[in-house]
Amino acid sequence: MADALALKGLTKTFGAKRAVDDLSLTVRAGELYALLGPNGAGKTTTLRMVAGLLKPDGGEIAVFGRDVLKDPAEAKKIIAWAPDEPMLYDRLTPLEYLEFVAGLWGVDPKTAQGRAEELLKWLGLWENRGERCEGFSRGMKQKTALAGALIHDPQLLILDEPLTGLDAAVARQVKDLLQERVKTGATVILTTHILEVAERMADRIGIIARGRLIADGTLAELRARRGEERATLEDLFLELTGEGEGQAA
Amino acid sequence: MTLKLGSTLWLMRHEFRLTWRGFTRARTGGGGRFRRLWLLLILPAILVVTAGLPMGYGLRHVQIPIVPVAVVVAAAVSAGLFTLMLSQTMAAAVAALYERADLDLLFSSPLNPRRVLTVRFLAVALNVYALFGVITTALILPSVLLGHPSWIALEAVLFALALGATGAGLLIAAGLFRAIGPRRTRTVGQLLAAITGAAFFLTAQAYNILGRSQSASLWGRVVRAAEDPRFHAPPGLDWPLRAALGQPLPLAAVLAAGAGLFLVANQVLGARFAADAAAAAGAGTQGRPARIGRLAPFRGGVFQAMLRKELRLLGRDPALISQVLLRVLYLLPLGFLLLRSAGRGQTLLLPGTVAALGLMAGQVTASLAWITISAEDAPDLLSAAPAPIGAVRQGKVVAAVLPVAVLLTPILPPLALMAPWVAFAGALGCAAQMAMGALINIWWQRPGKRADFRRRRQASWFVSLAEFLLGVLIALATAILAFGSFWALVPAAVALAAVLLMRRSDAQIAAALRAA
Repeated sequence: MADALALKGLTKTFGAKRAVDDLSLTVRAGELYALLGPNGAGKTTTLRMVAGLLKPDGGEIAVFGRDVLKDPAEAKKIIAWAPDEPMLYDRLTPLEYLEFVAGLWGVDPKTAQGRAEELLKWLGLWENRGERCEGFSRGMKQKTALAGALIHDPQLLILDEPLTGLDAAVARQVKDLLQERVKTGATVILTTHILEVAERMADRIGIIARGRLIADGTLAELRARRGEERATLEDLFLELTGEGEGQAA
Repeated sequence: MTLKLGSTLWLMRHEFRLTWRGFTRARTGGGGRFRRLWLLLILPAILVVTAGLPMGYGLRHVQIPIVPVAVVVAAAVSAGLFTLMLSQTMAAAVAALYERADLDLLFSSPLNPRRVLTVRFLAVALNVYALFGVITTALILPSVLLGHPSWIALEAVLFALALGATGAGLLIAAGLFRAIGPRRTRTVGQLLAAITGAAFFLTAQAYNILGRSQSASLWGRVVRAAEDPRFHAPPGLDWPLRAALGQPLPLAAVLAAGAGLFLVANQVLGARFAADAAAAAGAGTQGRPARIGRLAPFRGGVFQAMLRKELRLLGRDPALISQVLLRVLYLLPLGFLLLRSAGRGQTLLLPGTVAALGLMAGQVTASLAWITISAEDAPDLLSAAPAPIGAVRQGKVVAAVLPVAVLLTPILPPLALMAPWVAFAGALGCAAQMAMGALINIWWQRPGKRADFRRRRQASWFVSLAEFLLGVLIALATAILAFGSFWALVPAAVALAAVLLMRRSDAQIAAALRAA
């Protein structure tokens, strides 16, 4: 089976700044992959290129063997993208939003309606299905956006900071949902600043800094490579990225 | 000048800075500077030279008599201005309730909330006055300098009207809030503001709406009544005229009336308004009650999904509805004139009117197309979807065109029965104007937020100018065609060539959007 995501020599420059620099990484099908990095490391830029929102200056992107750059429409059919700021319409209800998103992805209306009901019930939004999103809390908006990302049953789910601003209960619901999707065979790539989440949930972890992949593997592999068997992900992250040096000094 | 921190004047300066920046805000680099220059220097200078000076010179020895006709006219103009100002202040009062951006910050500070609100309300009054004051000052100043110093009192009358209109606007907004609740106040308040604003225009268009005989007889009755020696103006009707001419007592009375209404509204509603603003924010978080029994089955397809989504969003945007409604109200006199002219066989009037109708239809379409295309709330969602760009655009364009087509339905089909050729030319003109409005908005997208709807033209002077010039060309072609001359092909061909020159490929559109 083809890898869920294969990046090869990916490069993106904004003006004089090289946001992504010859980045190559592989995410296997059916795993939850956490992409970590300090602010401005190039995580979001990388994921936006994978989702087809940004054109790279160079390199290759393949999603389940489909070339994102040559045939973006085919690749997009199996990808879902959920940024940190939910892409919602304030004056639509969750149900109307899901109908719209399903239409964009060409999901059969009957199937979409069934999935919408299932997702909204799962996420505890069924009672709010007739309310406009404008009055929703951050967590409710995030959950609605997540339902939208799942309505077409994507094989690859890309989430940028999915837990930002969520309370503990909603964050738990989202984490459970992601693990559930992985169990059913989907692949999840997420970025997060909450390293404990990556430590507990991710099958593999990639760390990027200044647009380059500086570490990649399971937590055990990362520890073994550094020769620090008891190190936490936070220790490894700070050491690898050099982020902790300023504080230590 | 250093002002005491937290003082009323300090707060007032803060309000003015925000208003001024909002007023002169432009997306393009030098747009803001030009707009400031235009408002402060160029426009007043043009008005002074073209109207103020000739008027001042012509009237330098004229004393305006306090006769019934002058009294009635002055009172009517004052009432009209008050209505216009009321529409502005009502919209501002509703906005103050809902778009409270910095009110939370100000209320959480140690400043007295009553003072914060008083300053904000006063700023509303001053802003409304400034809208009219720029023009009237330029018109009246030469007269003031050339022998009528007391006429400067007109400015004081205007300010009194602005104060009164602000008080009335606040009372209406608060009354609506009590009567129909926070959710509906927003929609009803904005619609009411639009209708109030249009009322002045519609009254001025009485001739077109009622027809020559009825409107002439209406105005004639008023004038005859005023000229009748037995006519006694109701007490106080002559105050606006006397006040504007600088008579101290009426001027003091008018100022006191305006300030009184403002102060009453401020005192009575001040504290309540703050509570209403908090309740308005709270109402948002509760959302709308679920309509569980009304779940329609999903419908598929990119075009359908896009069309339904856009129509839902257009229909649920009270600010947008009030703007479109305003344009529809402006269309009414045109429609009446068109149908009445056709009914009476007044063939000379028809071509111009049908061309103007097309121009208006094109403008509304362009506005709606800007909303559906450039003011997309979730552009990344559309970019991330595997949906064909053509289907996405078709849905958006049809959503922009449909409401305009519905608005034209009561006008064009009846016209076709009365004047088929003119109706044909009109339909062709409307279709061309609507297509032009939609195409330019696709090719020259100007990303913005729905809330910036009224400022959308500032995003690109080139597109705004192109829309206007092409609209005029197509209107010219429509009028000539309605006359039955095929010379219409000349402006039509020029317009078509210009539209084709403005065409951009998908790659060019994408590149422009990336650069924006």
